[in-house]
Amino acid sequence: MSAVPGLKEDCEELLGAFQQADTVRFERFAELWRGRRFYTVFYGRIRALERNKLTKKTLDLAQQYFLPPYSFQIRVGALYLLYGLYNAQLCQPKQKIRIALKDWPEIQKFQQDLLDSQHYDAVYIFRRLRLARAFHFTAMPKLLTYRTKKKIEENYFKEEFKDPSNRVNSLITNDVLEELMNIHDHYQKMKCVISADKSQPDKALSLIKDDFVVNLKDITLEHQEWQQNRMKLFQNAKVTPETENKKKEEALLESEGSERANALARIKYKSYSAVVEVSKSRRHRQVQLESSESGSSCGKSPSRSKKTRTPQPARRRGEMQVAQETVTRHIGMPVITEEDSDE
Amino acid sequence: SIDMLMSSEKEVDPDVIPEDSSLLTLRIRKKALERREETIIVDRACRQETLTYEMESHATGKRPDDPTDLIEEGELLLTLNIFYPVIFQKHKDHKPYQTVLVLGSQKLTELRDSISCVSDLQIGGEFSSQPDQAPEHISKDLYKSAFFYFEGIFYNDKRYPECRDLSRTIIEWSESHDRGYENLQSAKMEDYVFNDLSLKIGFPYLYCHQGNCEHIIIITDIRLIHHDDCLDRNLYPLLVKKHWLCTRKCFVCKMYTARWVTNRDSLAPEDPCFFCDVCFRMLHYDAEGNKLGEFLAYPYVDPGIFN
Repeated sequence: MSAVPGLKEDCEELLGAFQQADTVRFERFAELWRGRRFYTVFYGRIRALERNKLTKKTLDLAQQYFLPPYSFQIRVGALYLLYGLYNAQLCQPKQKIRIALKDWPEIQKFQQDLLDSQHYDAVYIFRRLRLARAFHFTAMPKLLTYRTKKKIEENYFKEEFKDPSNRVNSLITNDVLEELMNIHDHYQKMKCVISADKSQPDKALSLIKDDFVVNLKDITLEHQEWQQNRMKLFQNAKVTPETENKKKEEALLESEGSERANALARIKYKSYSAVVEVSKSRRHRQVQLESSESGSSCGKSPSRSKKTRTPQPARRRGEMQVAQETVTRHIGMPVITEEDSDE
Repeated sequence: SIDMLMSSEKEVDPDVIPEDSSLLTLRIRKKALERREETIIVDRACRQETLTYEMESHATGKRPDDPTDLIEEGELLLTLNIFYPVIFQKHKDHKPYQTVLVLGSQKLTELRDSISCVSDLQIGGEFSSQPDQAPEHISKDLYKSAFFYFEGIFYNDKRYPECRDLSRTIIEWSESHDRGYENLQSAKMEDYVFNDLSLKIGFPYLYCHQGNCEHIIIITDIRLIHHDDCLDRNLYPLLVKKHWLCTRKCFVCKMYTARWVTNRDSLAPEDPCFFCDVCFRMLHYDAEGNKLGEFLAYPYVDPGIFN
């Protein structure tokens, strides 16, 4: 399908502004939308047939931003954009948003993330769309048309919108590390069992470095930090001094392979107005308010943080301290960190 | 809420593009509109556009009178493109096709019945001597066999005793030597519904009828049925898009669609020559109905008959 001229630029401009605003609140998006009077994008004397086609293409374009590999903030922006476009369209009956079957689990996961991080306005918007029956559930994302292409259009993604593709992290996830640790332990135990001295393995059997799992984790963490630093340099984002300091103070980042979590954390740091107070029941534990970086994992449900606790004994990094929040308000859900005194 | 996104002024006219728009889309569109205003004298939908729009949207939201005909949730809706068999030079880049919506629970035979192809209506035979006795049998009634080919299986229409297995020839041919086709099978069309098939989207399949009239079928979309779709089962398979073919007009009056074609006609200026019924009789037969001149005449069905 030939693209609607100028539409891609307009959408990217709006999403870019939204990303600059560094928040996921709908009010902010609505301000940007109103400022540009985006609802007028369907204006102009267009007859019904043409208008149907145009609206379909517009929704299709916006829908692309809603799926991975775009970053979390862009995806929320795309959700708001879809909402706006769907309601601003002039077609009667309204043209629908096509979602492919393969993308649907992603979207459900996304919705769950939104719920967990308590971005209730985004969840509400999504529910409104569902209730308005705005989606077509299709087998393939794009409707096929057959026209000989005059020129092959390369669909390029705007680099800044994409999350840094963190291949290392997606490979060495928490699960993998946990398993490695377990296997390593098992292996050590087996070595002990078959060697003469039951308490430790024979010298002859030591073929691998004992702490290779920890080293692996350290290396991936370093890589992640490096990548983030590179991103920071790459973007000319206005990094406030305190965030920089915090980054310098940061020693440990959970390597769970979700760069999204970091972005989430950054967003949550700024969007404090929407986060709910922590339940009082949590107070009886030694709760340390962590900075948003390592609190990133608390965007997920508590069960996930439980999972991250088990490999913690393996992490002999003493620098599990996290810098105290300079802001006294509740920023993220606090993570209950256990002192890894045991081995 | 939605109001936050909509304009605050109520009297905004969607036809007018605001002057100071910051959107690139609108600026481009405005220029295009201005250009159109300069060059087009009358700006309204031509009949092709009206037809296309009507066909696309005429069935949306329809509900059946009989509640048993209501389509349930979870029904699949397939969009098929059925291409016309003719190959004209002007169709080099875009081959004309019709688009049909079909339900997952419908049998293949229902789709077969809904495909309207001009070759079904042909009347065989030469009728110069007895123009009034052109028989009523059209080819559709005489040659009822047809088959679909999906994913290596030929689905033959076996509803009537005179239907033959057209695919048998192909299967025998492919088995006779090792031609590299995996075993092709044959099945009965009326036993299968679309939900039973495993299909590829965008892959060309075949519909063959009349022995040698072949149509390519491509499935462009599969989706779940939606509240705003037509929910009357009787209206499916639903034709939503059709290519407009110009009909050939009578050579004499240039007004009526041609119904006869003549060959080797001493009275006609070209070979073959097309006539409407009235002009044909007036030219070739005298008042008593005797044949004048030498010619061969065949009844002609124009491809544009489905317009």
